[in-house]
Amino acid sequence: MEQRTESPKEVLLEVKNLKKYFYSKSGFIKSNVQAIKAVDDVSFTIYKGETFGLVGESGCGKSTTGRTIIRLYDVTDGDVIFDGANLSQMTQSQIRPYRKRIQMIFQDPYASLNARMTVGDIIGESLDIHHLAKGKERQEIIWNLLERVGLSKEHANRYPHEFSGGQRQRIGIARSLAVNPDFIICDEPISALDVSIQAQVVNMLQDLQKEMGLTYLFIAHDLSMVKHISDRIGVMYLGKLVEVASSDELYDNPKHPYTQALLSAIPIPDPDVAKNSHRIVLEGDVPSPMNPPSGCRFRTRCRYAMDICSKVEPVLVEIEPGHFSACHLNKNSEGVSFQETVQND
Amino acid sequence: MADTTIKKELWERIPQDNKDAEVISRPSMTYWQDAWRRLKRNKISMLGLAFIVFMVLFALVGPTLAGHDYSTQDLTLSNIPPRFEIYQIDADTFVYVHSEYKLIDVLEDGTLIGRIKEVQNNLNDKNRVYDIDGNEVFLDYKYAAIKDSSEADAGIKFKLFVNGTEVQPYKTVWNKGHLFGTDNMGRDVLARVMYGARISLSIALIATLVNFFIGVLYGGISGYIGGRIGNTMMRIVDIITAIPLMLYVILLTVIIGTGFKSIVIALGSVYWVNMARIVRGQVLSLKEQEFVLAAKTLGAKTSRIMLRHLIPNVMGPIIVSMTMMIPSAIFTEAFLSFIGLGVNPPMASWGTLANDALSGIRTYPYQLFFPSLAISLTMLAFNFFSDGLQNALDPKMRK
Ligand SMILES: Nc1ncnc2c1ncn2[C@@H]1O[C@H](COP(=O)(O)OP(=O)(O)O)[C@@H](O)[C@H]1O
Ligand code: SF4
Ligand SMILES: [Mg+2]
Repeated sequence: MEQRTESPKEVLLEVKNLKKYFYSKSGFIKSNVQAIKAVDDVSFTIYKGETFGLVGESGCGKSTTGRTIIRLYDVTDGDVIFDGANLSQMTQSQIRPYRKRIQMIFQDPYASLNARMTVGDIIGESLDIHHLAKGKERQEIIWNLLERVGLSKEHANRYPHEFSGGQRQRIGIARSLAVNPDFIICDEPISALDVSIQAQVVNMLQDLQKEMGLTYLFIAHDLSMVKHISDRIGVMYLGKLVEVASSDELYDNPKHPYTQALLSAIPIPDPDVAKNSHRIVLEGDVPSPMNPPSGCRFRTRCRYAMDICSKVEPVLVEIEPGHFSACHLNKNSEGVSFQETVQND
Repeated sequence: MADTTIKKELWERIPQDNKDAEVISRPSMTYWQDAWRRLKRNKISMLGLAFIVFMVLFALVGPTLAGHDYSTQDLTLSNIPPRFEIYQIDADTFVYVHSEYKLIDVLEDGTLIGRIKEVQNNLNDKNRVYDIDGNEVFLDYKYAAIKDSSEADAGIKFKLFVNGTEVQPYKTVWNKGHLFGTDNMGRDVLARVMYGARISLSIALIATLVNFFIGVLYGGISGYIGGRIGNTMMRIVDIITAIPLMLYVILLTVIIGTGFKSIVIALGSVYWVNMARIVRGQVLSLKEQEFVLAAKTLGAKTSRIMLRHLIPNVMGPIIVSMTMMIPSAIFTEAFLSFIGLGVNPPMASWGTLANDALSGIRTYPYQLFFPSLAISLTMLAFNFFSDGLQNALDPKMRK
């Protein structure tokens, strides 16, 4: 971390005020349109070569964020600036060249591979789409990729259902590597895997990052593995980013009550430490993004909720260098809430 | 107890390459090979498939093997059943008494030779006199007209006398030349059922293929686009389904006349709606799956996603619904032909054969029996087959 902060960081991806609303219609004649605010005004920056972790309970909009960045979904509002180019308003044909640079690894190793294609064709599909290689060369690339992710070239002629979850996830990773991307969005790539396999896949992702100079957006629903792999972490709650910090800082010094609750949910391997720490139990479920609570969206489950929390929505402010949080509790050295200093501007 | 000491070597690490947990032992099998393997285990379904294959061969090569043309008429040998009684005249002369009270020369094994010319035909007394190789043969059929006589009660309609003595049936034989008998124009029923199989099966096949292409394309597009356009497309489908098939056929026959073409067009224009519904439903759920999203992130165009990703994954339900569509197309064709909206003579389908046989159902039931049997068995075979296919292709059954 320290070396990185010293060298000038180059921005690869900048997400500015990104919004993605889904509209659910009910009623046929008099349609009643309701917005599901899956991602609601999210901004963050990812630097070249780093891993940015995105965590939050399921349903809080992490996948939607990733899919909107890669333009699987149309952007409702805001900008996605990748290497200087604004992807948010591009048409699908304008965006095609960027499909070679941004890739995605999916959560479900069973649903993410087409059961009717051989592993070789699955991995080679991007080569066919972008006319990158044919015949012998294509085969060489596929074999190479298979070996790179710890499988063997004999696997190319087999079908996905013959593989285990971990192997399938490796196939998915090989597929995303085929175009030689710069940036990979990993949408909970390990949460469907056995714990014993999780570490293998994470280590492989880290090795690949080093070898190929990749940048990752690493999405997860719990903090434990994310800390291990991420340089910086963003915590999401109900479509909003509530805290962003370097991963060490976030662990040692969490500022947002939601982050604190998530951290306390991580099992502690050392019994002595565990005895002295108390778990903050998050009660209830994430409210519906169709009609989120007023003010701070976390207030319905926050232990510290105050009067102001239901009236004024806290915004993400930099409370320490590189550490952002959105909570009325965060106060500066003079004891004034950051929210006041920002919102009175 | 003595042998339970745990040796130190047991605790040593197993080398990485000895762990064969990640090695695939099962032979590589595609979805289709796997489905075929499961289908083979379903005996009834395989029986259905065997019958379908038989029926197709029956329709394709049957007519050339039958030895009779489906349209050649021989009015002297009309309405002869597949099995009949013969009478002996002398050592090697046998006759069959036709249901119209005419004598037909046959061989002992049941081969028909031809009508025998009578010497005398007494229409008023209801008898005929023949001269066969010098024997005087007298056929008296007045009993058929007399209502209350001991003969009528016993079901006797005629008596045959050779040189004055009454003869009894010699034996019952199979109609060797015409296994299924002949129809009212003396055409071979077997040849006509074979030829009818050609027409019925090809109508079913063409209708099913048309349905396949239109239904898959329409349903696929509607499901993939979704939203308002997709919904509108499905409302059109609803309207098409709401209009009865009969109405289309009648309107079409008004425009282009009855026949093969209008049946195919009518079946083709209506049947695809079910296919469209099935495909749309599947595509709607598949398009949200991550493998489709993955194809999109790789830059795949819509056509590629449709042809390489969505349709291959819907192929199971598509094929099942096609095999279910064939019997219902066969039946609808038969039904339309039966009520006179079908193919025109001399073309024959199972439906028209059944229709032609209807007038003589009391006297010549075999003429209705064979085409009906063909229709029923074929439909049954397709239903058995599609049932097994459905189980074989159902991914939930995969082990
Ligand atoms: N295609 C969609 N249409 C409608 N609502 C959606 C769609 N995708 C996601 N959502 C909703 O958006 C919210 C965020 O979902 P998601 O991004 O998948 O959460 P996460 O990945 O954090 O678990 C959820 O409430 C979900 O129901
Ligand atoms: S703003 Fe209020 S409700 Fe929200 S997290 Fe901070 S203290 Fe809790
Ligand atoms: Mg998700």
